[in-house]
Amino acid sequence: MLYRGSIGAIVLTATLCATIAGAQAWDESKYPDLTGQWVRADGSRGVGRYDPTKPPARGQEAPLTAEYQAIYEANLADQAQGGQGIDPTYRCLSPGMPRIMHAYSPMEVVVTPKTTHILIEHIHDSRRIHTDGRGWPEDMDENPMFAGYSIGRWIDEDGAGRYDALVVETRGLKNPRTYDASGIPFHADGKTVIKERIYLDKADPNILHDEITVIDNALTRPWTVTKNYRRVAAKGPIWWREDICVENNVHVVIGKEDYFLSADGLLMPIKKDQPPPDLRYFNLPRK
Amino acid sequence: MLNHRSIYAIASGVALLVMALVAVPDIATAGDETKYPDLRGQWMGVLRARPGLPGQPSFDASKPWGKGQEAPLTAEYQAILEENLKSQKEGGTFDWLGATCLGFGMPLIAYGFEPQEFIITPETTYILINWVEHNRRIYTDGRDWPKEIEPTLTGYSIGRWIDEDGDGRYDVLEVETRGFKGPRHYDAAGVPLHHDNQSVFKERIYLDKNDKNILRNEITVYDHALTRPWTVTRDLRRNPNPQPTWREFICTENNPYVRIDKETYYLSADGMLMPMRKGQPAPDLRHFTDAQK
Repeated sequence: MLYRGSIGAIVLTATLCATIAGAQAWDESKYPDLTGQWVRADGSRGVGRYDPTKPPARGQEAPLTAEYQAIYEANLADQAQGGQGIDPTYRCLSPGMPRIMHAYSPMEVVVTPKTTHILIEHIHDSRRIHTDGRGWPEDMDENPMFAGYSIGRWIDEDGAGRYDALVVETRGLKNPRTYDASGIPFHADGKTVIKERIYLDKADPNILHDEITVIDNALTRPWTVTKNYRRVAAKGPIWWREDICVENNVHVVIGKEDYFLSADGLLMPIKKDQPPPDLRYFNLPRK
Repeated sequence: MLNHRSIYAIASGVALLVMALVAVPDIATAGDETKYPDLRGQWMGVLRARPGLPGQPSFDASKPWGKGQEAPLTAEYQAILEENLKSQKEGGTFDWLGATCLGFGMPLIAYGFEPQEFIITPETTYILINWVEHNRRIYTDGRDWPKEIEPTLTGYSIGRWIDEDGDGRYDVLEVETRGFKGPRHYDAAGVPLHHDNQSVFKERIYLDKNDKNILRNEITVYDHALTRPWTVTRDLRRNPNPQPTWREFICTENNPYVRIDKETYYLSADGMLMPMRKGQPAPDLRHFTDAQK
């Protein structure tokens, strides 16, 4: 009965071919549908805040240590006088993590087998979340980044055979960073660890949640919040704006002083009695 | 009744059919990455096609920057290039946006000054630029040009994957890009694009047939500052490291140039304002009171 063996071999070969091809192809049906454009859904469009359920600035009730509460108060005092405090973003430096997730500009989430990309044009807010099972790189602390280094893992929490949450840990963060424009500070040691759980709302798949926990030596305890994003409903193609921070930035930093560019393009003080820049290198001061 | 030859023939046919179905990917299946060329990894721009080329990288990587590009410019735009070169000799930065981190635009963003990443989805191919500009979205969902395009330095790109050799797998991404703002240049020497910003770019992006770690981009520019379309082929090389480092490039972080009114100044090592060129006037300080001065 040789022919039966041959048939078996042929069918087995065909099946193997199908299996191999299937393994090469990426099965996106395993992942939640995160396509589209996501915007903040917390009613806090104007002011980005870490905890969207609380008022900005002191209203956030950040669990800061006494030392960092004092740094925060000094920063608020500077801002009250017209300064920028310790918030670095007015110089078009990236807000960094976790402030990136305020989604100052619309967000796109692109899931690939080895990386989930979070694309946010704003300053430099895009993130790579590595989901290929890698470990932390050895040089992570020598080359910190505002966005940090993120390692993630897709999990199937309800056992439905489809991933429903992306669990992420981010380390290797660079300073200066603050939680918001009011200047709630992170510890200067750069040892922040951020844990996230990103998932679609069970009842409304057009709502995306990001549970964020910050573990930082400027805090008396881990600080957890949940951010929410809404998928933009669009009948036609979605428009993605180009965002180049410097384009409309009116702040100028010269030495240790911050100045403002007035509507006529000239330099202005931002604080009462602020000295103008030292022009000693100019032979021909303007009259 | 079927004999063993018939059974063998049927089984073989079924097997061949299954294999054929596997070999010809289902175009309608979303996320089937076997349909597309493997562009994964980190791509570094080959900024100079041969070593020793003077100046900074430019559009035609086989030629020097500036006049060395032999750009087919109209007389008017050749004169603008001469003005830009003169401005630089005097220490100026002409209307080069890159000096103050305002961006570079097409075609400079295609050169790969910072490592690039390609992400292919059925609807969009993303090129992560990681420079002042963040990324390019090349729409491959069959859409038409929008009635109005908000002009950008990156432009609006529509693409189409094509299977040129008919092997059931796409091998070329054809892209057309329009909808620009400016000023934009081909290089830091100031080879200009037309100020009407009506440039159209056509690209053909494909892997080298003999070396899958080289990505070629044939770029043709149609621009009113040119006497004819200008075509070059630029290369990107894949980093062999499967886990490459992605540097965070923040242009403003260490940028010593400051723009005040219509003048660009330099920040000296001691943090003070310096002129960029001989005889450059100091900033107007009229908004500071005498007491402050």
